[in-house]
Amino acid sequence: MNDIIIRIGGSAGDGVQSSGLSLAKTLSRSGYYITTYNYYQSLIRGGQSWYQVRASDEVVKNQGSGLDILIALNEDALKRHTSKNINEGGASRLNGIAIFDDSMITNYEKYDDVKYYGVPLRDIALKYDTNPLLKNTVALGAVMAALNLDFSIYEQVIREIFSSKGKLIVANIGAAKEGYEYYKNNYKLYKNIKVEKKKLYMIDGGGAVGLGAINAGMQMYFAYPMTPASSVLQFFADHSKKFNVFLKITEDEISAINGAIGANYAGVRTMTGSSGGGFALMTEAVGMAAMTEVPLVIYEAQRPGPSTGLPTKTEQGDLNQILGAGQGDFPKIVLAPGNVTEAFNLTKEAFNLAEKYQLPVFVVSDLYLAEHIETVSFDLKYEMEHGLRAQDNDPNFKRYEFTKDGISKRAVPGQKGLMHNEDSDEHNELGEVVSDTITDPEQRRLSMEKRMRKLDVYLKNIPPTKTYKLDGAEYIIIQWGSTKGVVEESIDRLRDDGIMVGAIEIDHVYPMNHDIEKYIKNKKIIVVENNFSGQLNKLIKQEFLIDTKFVGKYDGEAFFPEQLENTLKNIIVGKPILEE
Amino acid sequence: MIALDEYKGKVSPDWCPGCGNYSQLRAISMALSELNIKPEDAVISSGIGCSSNMPEYINVYGFHGLHGRLVPVAEGIKWANKNLTVIGYGGDGDGFFEGTQHFYHAAKRNVDITYIVSDNQVFGLTTGQASPTTPVGRITKDTPDGNIEPPFNPLHYALTAGATFVARALSGNIKSLANIIKAGIQHKGFSFIDVLSPCVTYNKINSYDFFRKTTYDMKDNNPKDFYEAYKLASMWGDQPNSIPTGILYDVQAPVYEDADVVLSKYNLKDTKPYQLKETDLEEFY
Repeated sequence: MNDIIIRIGGSAGDGVQSSGLSLAKTLSRSGYYITTYNYYQSLIRGGQSWYQVRASDEVVKNQGSGLDILIALNEDALKRHTSKNINEGGASRLNGIAIFDDSMITNYEKYDDVKYYGVPLRDIALKYDTNPLLKNTVALGAVMAALNLDFSIYEQVIREIFSSKGKLIVANIGAAKEGYEYYKNNYKLYKNIKVEKKKLYMIDGGGAVGLGAINAGMQMYFAYPMTPASSVLQFFADHSKKFNVFLKITEDEISAINGAIGANYAGVRTMTGSSGGGFALMTEAVGMAAMTEVPLVIYEAQRPGPSTGLPTKTEQGDLNQILGAGQGDFPKIVLAPGNVTEAFNLTKEAFNLAEKYQLPVFVVSDLYLAEHIETVSFDLKYEMEHGLRAQDNDPNFKRYEFTKDGISKRAVPGQKGLMHNEDSDEHNELGEVVSDTITDPEQRRLSMEKRMRKLDVYLKNIPPTKTYKLDGAEYIIIQWGSTKGVVEESIDRLRDDGIMVGAIEIDHVYPMNHDIEKYIKNKKIIVVENNFSGQLNKLIKQEFLIDTKFVGKYDGEAFFPEQLENTLKNIIVGKPILEE
Repeated sequence: MIALDEYKGKVSPDWCPGCGNYSQLRAISMALSELNIKPEDAVISSGIGCSSNMPEYINVYGFHGLHGRLVPVAEGIKWANKNLTVIGYGGDGDGFFEGTQHFYHAAKRNVDITYIVSDNQVFGLTTGQASPTTPVGRITKDTPDGNIEPPFNPLHYALTAGATFVARALSGNIKSLANIIKAGIQHKGFSFIDVLSPCVTYNKINSYDFFRKTTYDMKDNNPKDFYEAYKLASMWGDQPNSIPTGILYDVQAPVYEDADVVLSKYNLKDTKPYQLKETDLEEFY
């Protein structure tokens, strides 16, 4: 795999993210597979943020370790990203070039493996605009030259980005071109990866969930803004008219989920979503969806807790909350996509599962997955499965009929002759409350068993568990959600060193497919997750009664492959590949 | 007119004999029947409390949800299918404690639903605690030294929030109650009806006799006048003719569903979902 990692560092307000996006788009249109990583704070101005693009001739699974090209937009960025431990616990560092304004930044420590390529970013920028913000465009122009990219592709990206501001098109293209020429005239080509031009789309995890929901026939989305679930909210805000989606920002998350339940009850596919804090407010209604057997898809994008926690950072710490959400025992399904493509596919699956089994289905993401971009190709084929529906005037209609598989026919308001009550109190087959005047233990037992039976059927139809390079593996990594790509790459690296490891990738987290048993027999198991206590690890131990080792991370950042490889190697062969 | 019997539920109410909820059940059925709203086209969304058991006792579509959350469920139903007549029905504890934010915002949005509260100034189902509308000084199960919190004024709250239809009715007076509910359902926009409803078991003071003595039917108020409505909403007391009943406020304003860019064009229940096409991905190129 030939890859290149480019990082743009600066303050909030420097246009770090927007130039990162332009870079990603230019690389993707040039034929590279890309993935991005966004490091930022809840700040409008100031602080230190950076945006990284990793590009390759093969599918890129994660943000990568180390750094090839740094664009440092200020002194702090130059110091920070050339120093040791650029990735907060990652081992490798910049081994390549630093592009920075050497007329502005003069005071810095020089490292041997860094080539310091000064470009008068500010002076060039000010030739084209009164605002020095254009310096990031100048720097991107230089990157085009460093990688021998087709400048006209970047030019086209600029034209599209500034399409509504004509004057800025000319200024940006001029500034970029001069940055490009400056690099060519003064420095050597850094790297030239041969890629074939191909049509690749690039989208973040939130957008993929949004598109997946549209593909699944979702027509309404109810939510209250909360990072990092807001990328889905924003997707629908931007596409409401195009896709005829009703978007409702409600007064709180309680209203969002109750509204979504009302809409699904009335027969329109509707989703609600939040991050952990907002989801905490929704929990009572999750149980109501299960009790009334109203289909419901809930998107939960995790961020580090507890409480307000780290709003702009990533973690996988909400699994326990999701598994435990709502009083009492009731059926629910928890899905956890491992990358952007899976976010699209599992969201589609979630809607059919919700209707087929008439229960709440979770699509669990996290900030890293929701906000980073990947190049993807989506399969738009989809068949809506509405599950069992009653015919108008069916004289034998019982909304909660005790069927063999626990699934009963639904009827929605407006259907003739099927009027009935859907109740959050315990009820009988007809929906009549059995909690107040009649207390009937037998009735309660049957109703509980009817609801729970649905999961038995689901487990018979659950897709086989995904595995990665299990052949000859002595050690098996078990992961869920967004750690997929980094785990896979770590496995590739370890196998290159002759260490036989493989992975089990749990995207259908709960209830869990027990086909895993056949893979884990007599193997050594390491569970990797982005949290403190090992929430999946505990679930695995409980489900399979096995001994495991747990590798966690809870500093707010995602795992980096070299760091994970190092940790795993330490566990497996007892020595780290790199000394800290 | 659809026969009243058509609305009779299969389950008999389990309310105490003499409960104010009985006349509301009948009045809602009368209103639907007189307005020719077919049972399959009406939905009652209720919360938790004695009154909220209503959906079982009436033959329309019913959703008996969580305490305080009947309004968002009702909104979700209405936005999914505008053709339905959506009625929210619950008690004062349900709507004026836990559900206040939903009540406020639904009124502010002017969503086209009718919200009826059976207001008995006490918690019935949990056996007699003070509710948000319990008067100061009232001794209840959990206020043995008398309630010290001033009561919540639902009419003021609805008016301030922007409700376009605000009424107060008396549970014992079925004909007039049914007429007010009819007007509320016919009103385009959010209609709120506070029904003074005696709890014969846990509130011996605000009884039928009490309300017969203290309430009077408004004859010549101007329901277009916000300040007059606000003033009328302030009236309360234990003297004859101290509590006005009837429609305090009734004005037209843009309805949420008509203003929304998607809902104004489509009834989503009857609209095929958008078919995602390969060309839709172009914007991500």
